[in-house]
Amino acid sequence: MHIPDNFLSTPVWLTLDGVAAPAVLWVSRRARKELDEARIPLLGVLGAFVFAAQMVNFPVGVGTSAHLLGGALLTAILGPAPAALAMTAIIATQAFVFQDGGVLALGANVFNMALAGVLAAWLPLRLFAGRRSVGLFLAGFFSVMMSAGLALAELTFSGIQMPSKLLALSVGLFAVGAIVEGTITLAVARAIERLNPRWTGAPVHQGSRVWAGITFAAVLVVVLGLFAASSAPDGVMRIGQWADLHARPVLAAPMADYSLPLGPLWLRRSAAALLGLCLVGGSAAAASYFLLRRRSS
Amino acid sequence: MHHVVVEQWSRRHSFVHQRDARAKLLVALALLAALATSPASPVTAVPFALLVAVGIVAARLPLVSMLKKAAVVLPFSMLFGAVEWVAGQPLAGAALLVKSYISALTVLLLVASTPQPALLRGMESLGAPRLLVLMAQTLYRYLFVISEQAQHMRLAAVCRQGSAHRSQRRAFHAAAGALAILFARSYVRAEGIHRAMAARGFAGEFHSLRPPRFTRMDAVFAGVGSAVAVLAHLLVSHA
Repeated sequence: MHIPDNFLSTPVWLTLDGVAAPAVLWVSRRARKELDEARIPLLGVLGAFVFAAQMVNFPVGVGTSAHLLGGALLTAILGPAPAALAMTAIIATQAFVFQDGGVLALGANVFNMALAGVLAAWLPLRLFAGRRSVGLFLAGFFSVMMSAGLALAELTFSGIQMPSKLLALSVGLFAVGAIVEGTITLAVARAIERLNPRWTGAPVHQGSRVWAGITFAAVLVVVLGLFAASSAPDGVMRIGQWADLHARPVLAAPMADYSLPLGPLWLRRSAAALLGLCLVGGSAAAASYFLLRRRSS
Repeated sequence: MHHVVVEQWSRRHSFVHQRDARAKLLVALALLAALATSPASPVTAVPFALLVAVGIVAARLPLVSMLKKAAVVLPFSMLFGAVEWVAGQPLAGAALLVKSYISALTVLLLVASTPQPALLRGMESLGAPRLLVLMAQTLYRYLFVISEQAQHMRLAAVCRQGSAHRSQRRAFHAAAGALAILFARSYVRAEGIHRAMAARGFAGEFHSLRPPRFTRMDAVFAGVGSAVAVLAHLLVSHA
């Protein structure tokens, strides 16, 4: 899932670098506030632990083996902001020292795995605080689905054309990988808790439950949308064409006299995609906000 | 281990090794960006390949070993190159393969000519958050210690159980248990590290015996290097 350089088109990597840099600054400030000074070496050493843990093979199925990716486990141990920072350090080290993932694509990889991946892991931990096993499994599952789905979407945006069958196959493989990550995360976290329950007691309980629910709904929409898009690309394309046909006159009408230069094609497309994501996320957020408020009141 | 060689290379002496980490970072970024924004054709990569080759020779690094080490990107690139080829764009697929390889080689040249602490210090003075740099430094310092511990544990486990005569389920739980033990050892080690650092008066940052100096030569190197990267980009874009 580490995207090397030259796979993403310039607008995509530039935008994601621009998004990831301030986000990492914010995460780092937050982590500094949350952590006492004694835990600073711990973050680095646990980053090294995740590196080493990736070398331990877990048998899954006939003759195949998998390894832990670690984002969800770090989140359960450290809490969201320190875990995101530790993942950033891991990804940067992989890019510079091992040429695993690009340097220009560092923003994209950090965004996929350290920011969105850790967020997707933290939400189920927060929501299923009472049922820890469910939370741990879902944390592993959604962190992988989120990172892999975003990486796939970015590659597609960059104009890498994939036959629809291959796309469906890779989403299927991601789902299997996500289930494996969830199972391994659960097993390892349980084993660590047996050694010392204090070690996995990250402060995942803070923060508003309502907002966690809303964001989790948005994550669900993205992941389900990925399945829908891969199983029926033609249908999604048709919806896109329909929306384009019907939306363009409405959007263009007020600007017809001004002949506004809307910019090159990639800008229009990215803007449309961003707008679509905001719309979907917004409606999911609004719906779950009302649902959750009704339930909690 | 894989990286020990690069670590040794980074401590050699040459014109490239002597340059300030910030200057090298800037030139490497300029090269990567110039290559990434040039047209998608395998011919595009030729001037950049020549530039990186000149850099490797100037840094007195072994060319063949470097070429082999950068090949780690090839499996991933070949997969996507094949996807592009199947999709009817063989030229774009070839460009992807060649360009990602040259990019990996550029980054390898940067880390093989700059010791890790100097590189991280350079990044910090270019604006990377201090906590992140501290963590990356600790991570790098203990990466090989903990990886080796993991390998020893695996060897010990293999010695004890002989070959695998166990069910998948039990093998899975054994691996989870081994990781938990590795975690416990890392955790205890981190506590020890913190006590040792506190005893030596650690107050939130690492100090260096030789503070980095950005000399006039570094400025010239950064300027000329970036200009050459831009020229190479213009050359392949208009040819």
